[in-house]
Amino acid sequence: MVQTSSADRAATAYAFRTHVEPEIEVLLRVASTLTGPSDAEDLVQETLVRAWRSVDRFDGRHPRAWLLTILRNTNINMHRRRRPDGFDEIPEYAGTRPAFDARPPSTPEEQVVDGILPDDLEAAIDALRPTFRTVLLLVDVDQLTYAEAADALGVPVGTVMSRLSRARARVRAQLRPTINPPEEGHGR
Amino acid sequence: MITTIRMMITCHFTARRISRYLDADPSAPLTVGEIHRLESHLAQCSRCRTAMGQYRSIDAALERRRLTHGPDERAVTHMRDVLERIVSGEIA
Repeated sequence: MVQTSSADRAATAYAFRTHVEPEIEVLLRVASTLTGPSDAEDLVQETLVRAWRSVDRFDGRHPRAWLLTILRNTNINMHRRRRPDGFDEIPEYAGTRPAFDARPPSTPEEQVVDGILPDDLEAAIDALRPTFRTVLLLVDVDQLTYAEAADALGVPVGTVMSRLSRARARVRAQLRPTINPPEEGHGR
Repeated sequence: MITTIRMMITCHFTARRISRYLDADPSAPLTVGEIHRLESHLAQCSRCRTAMGQYRSIDAALERRRLTHGPDERAVTHMRDVLERIVSGEIA
């Protein structure tokens, strides 16, 4: 990155912070979905480093889409680096604390409203093919838009829609016997 | 017979659009005509109404999962610190 003065550098740093800091939680969520909770912080840190290196090429529009694209490419590169070694990664993270905590589950009242217990939901999610599970988590849990999920995965929006629709149908098929539909209404 | 076939076709039409209807995502909005057809069908078809309700329940359950599986504050704080160290040149 070429800097002509400390004032330029300060302005660039300010713009970078302004664009990137609000996206940190989303990046951690998406990183956890893509690579697992124990690697999420490493992936986000590397993503931030790469984003800073390429900040001169960022036009200031759609920072989330820009960051998600960098995160996707960084994830691919990190996996490429790890895989050829046949290295068992688990010991490296032994004793480290994952970035994501499983907090206390929702109240019993919340759970019985629709009849879906957390364990049943987890089993239904785990039963999905990875490509379907990832899209479901990105859109319904991480709350990305279709376009953002497409950026995070490097696939067309139509592919996101198709996988999401199938993932939801499969989760519904598995949970159907226990679901109590809520009061009727429209939209989310 | 014709009514039954027509209903089945509209069930298929509805099933293919339920996700987009629930999400109202800006990348893939339904047309006014599609929304009208889908809602008219839901008013008549208890099976599709039940399916819609079940999808809403799953959506609510996934929303609860979001609350219990998010990044902890320590991780967010750590990444903010990393961000500061990157812009200060401490991490390159």
